[in-house]
Amino acid sequence: MKKISPQVWIVVAAGIAVILGALVLAKANPAEAIRTLGTGSFGSMRALSGTLKETTPLLVAGCAVYLALQAGLFNIGVEGQLVMGACTASAVGVKMPTPAGFFVGCAAAMIVGGLWALPAGWIKAYRGGHEVITTIMLNNIAIYLTDALVIGPLKDPAAAYPTTESLSKATRLASAVKANDLQINFALLVGVGIAVGMAIWLKKTKPGYELRATGANATAAKFAGVDTKRVTLSAMVVSGAIGGLAGALMVFAHEFRFYQGFSPGYGFDALGVALLAGSSSFGLLPSALFFGALAKGGTALAALSIPKGITTLTLGVVVLAFAAVRYGRKAKGGGDGA
Amino acid sequence: MSYAVELIDISKRYGTVQALDSVSLKVKQGSIHAVVGENGAGKTTLMKALYGAMHPDSGTIDLFGKRHTFAGSAQAIEAGVGMVSQHYGIIGELSCLENLIVGSEGSGVLNLKGAEERANELAKKMGFEFDWKAEASTLSPAGAQKLEILKLLWRNSQIMILDEPTAMLSPADSDALFESLSNLAKEGATILVVTHRLPEVFGYCDEVTVLRGGKWIAAMPVAETDPESLAKAIVGGELVQRPPLSTETGAPALLTVSDLSVKGPKGNLQLKNCSFQIRKGELVGIAGVDGSGQRELFQALMGTTRPVSGSIRFVQGATEQDWTNLPTRERLKQGLRIIPEDRLAEAVIEEWSLIENATLGLQRIPPFDKLSGNAVEPEALKIADLFNTKRGSLNDAMSGLSGGNQQRFVAARALLYDPALVLAFQPARGLDLNSTARVYSKIRELCDTGTSALVVSFDLDELLEYCDRIVVLCSGEFSEPKPDEGRDRDAIGRLMVGAK
Repeated sequence: MKKISPQVWIVVAAGIAVILGALVLAKANPAEAIRTLGTGSFGSMRALSGTLKETTPLLVAGCAVYLALQAGLFNIGVEGQLVMGACTASAVGVKMPTPAGFFVGCAAAMIVGGLWALPAGWIKAYRGGHEVITTIMLNNIAIYLTDALVIGPLKDPAAAYPTTESLSKATRLASAVKANDLQINFALLVGVGIAVGMAIWLKKTKPGYELRATGANATAAKFAGVDTKRVTLSAMVVSGAIGGLAGALMVFAHEFRFYQGFSPGYGFDALGVALLAGSSSFGLLPSALFFGALAKGGTALAALSIPKGITTLTLGVVVLAFAAVRYGRKAKGGGDGA
Repeated sequence: MSYAVELIDISKRYGTVQALDSVSLKVKQGSIHAVVGENGAGKTTLMKALYGAMHPDSGTIDLFGKRHTFAGSAQAIEAGVGMVSQHYGIIGELSCLENLIVGSEGSGVLNLKGAEERANELAKKMGFEFDWKAEASTLSPAGAQKLEILKLLWRNSQIMILDEPTAMLSPADSDALFESLSNLAKEGATILVVTHRLPEVFGYCDEVTVLRGGKWIAAMPVAETDPESLAKAIVGGELVQRPPLSTETGAPALLTVSDLSVKGPKGNLQLKNCSFQIRKGELVGIAGVDGSGQRELFQALMGTTRPVSGSIRFVQGATEQDWTNLPTRERLKQGLRIIPEDRLAEAVIEEWSLIENATLGLQRIPPFDKLSGNAVEPEALKIADLFNTKRGSLNDAMSGLSGGNQQRFVAARALLYDPALVLAFQPARGLDLNSTARVYSKIRELCDTGTSALVVSFDLDELLEYCDRIVVLCSGEFSEPKPDEGRDRDAIGRLMVGAK
């Protein structure tokens, strides 16, 4: 571990100052706010269950972003892939009110999520168009398209606002743990499984190695016999599929339907989750938990009439400080000649 | 006699490696001073201390009798020191003129017209010609090198450091470069040249300092030494023997290239109807000035560029394979191994460890196809040890190695695992005398057991020393010297510039 440069400490200190300053501006007592944030996210079994519920989509979507990132792609489109997946999953779930509906729904959501990322991957690999631009555009299309669907053909005729019908009990995903107030859904375990599986796949398999090589130095990868265009395209599609699954799991585990304004921006927060995870996808676990805790704790802050935005601010500062540490180290790590 | 540069007892430690151990260097004003030594001798590190890019742990720096402590390069530049590193600092998207003045534009409005006048003056003085409005990416390596030197003049550098300035240049360009440096020295410039090429030292330099393993070994006027004793001082013992050339001519063809035409990055034909054969066990050198189509030929042979027309056929075992459009991966499986031209961009992943880099290009080839994670470590050790890559832990990042040591690692990786055909682009780039000899000895050893090798080098002398047969590329056209002129330096030199 290299020595951390003074600039990094300045960033961290400035970040803390910004947060405390913002709390003071909101006329809140910083110590009380932090205590509330803690009890609101981890203070009771109920709070913990809420935190884990928030963690689930962040973890799965974080996996999607992380995989693309390893291949050198910045998939800003997870938000779009997530809502497309969620919309697909609830449409299938409503039509198939059986346990099989869950599996078919997840599969369909993954296919739709993957297809939604496909144009961005193809344009990047074979036409050189930047994936950030294309995925942002695809996000907007996805959000408006699912809005149109849930206002129109998929709308529950009995409902007053744009939502699909509720899934039947048979299709819903059960809790893995249910003891008093503590509830942990199987969906979280699926997310953990993906993060762990991905860490092993990236480190231990040849396709994983080739994907990382493509992300780290595409020219060297090409010289090493890697079909970098195909890797780029498939990484984007698989990333989209995981993004779609994140949406499906939200539907089957917690929401039981799809409605207008379904995602409060999990796909975007997932960018921060992946960035904070560092150099191994095991890092996604604490990173997603941290984001989940802030999201859950933020609602508790609202009771103190502190704006929820303060947690977003905190996240921004944390990500910034982390990037300063990580990339600051990289810039210093240059070789010296002979 | 006053010294322009006096570095006294400079020491620098990186982690566990003592890169410099109380090294001193004195350079007279108006002279060309060569700094020589093996890879990892500390040459570049010492130059970085003078350029303010590295802060020594101890020691003093005096310029023109005045003590300096540099916190960074900006202060060194201020004091009149300029450096051209191994990797040029040219920004391809900017024009040549913009590149010239970048970093010293002055404040306020950019005065390009005034700049061009002064640029022309400087270029004229040096005998260079530049199209100032052209994008810098269109420059040849020789052109980029010249531009870098003008950059130093532009900043009024009195002390100029050049780190392996001729590594990428043809013999004629190298000579021209040193002629201009001599003129600059006559006008009072003080020039330090880091080099592996002894003819440059004896042809143009006034004094020479020898470093070895981070220690000062000797310093003397060039007139008082000779190539053999200087070479011995550099390696600290006897030189590695050059491998003998092979005279075997009866072996069957391994690689047959017919009428191959390949486009360059700008879409024009860079290789035109090229046909040749390489026999099993042959070590063939391709001579030619930079940009004659070598890159396009290599890309087509590797499978990273599709040829416009023509064919490539490769004999594996007893069967002939069509390589013309075969993916690189399949060629690697059939025994193709590559030592790429630009190791940082093409051969390694800098931020990865040596262990992870050991697998690169071999990931689908035994034994690597079955190994992952730390199981690769013994193989990485073999690769690092073949040419004595100087390193810390195998888990350290590749970026921590010096350029020459990265090259040793890359060369060893290409040569260790049953190559059938080795493509090497400037394999000795950044390597010292003994390492170069070791790499070629290993290639020769492989050729004796039936491997073939195709080597591109801009250094004709290197090819003459080590290759069985030399062919020439000139403006994308292929030619072979007449049978009785196969080792005739002048005849090959004429073919390189297109004269018959």
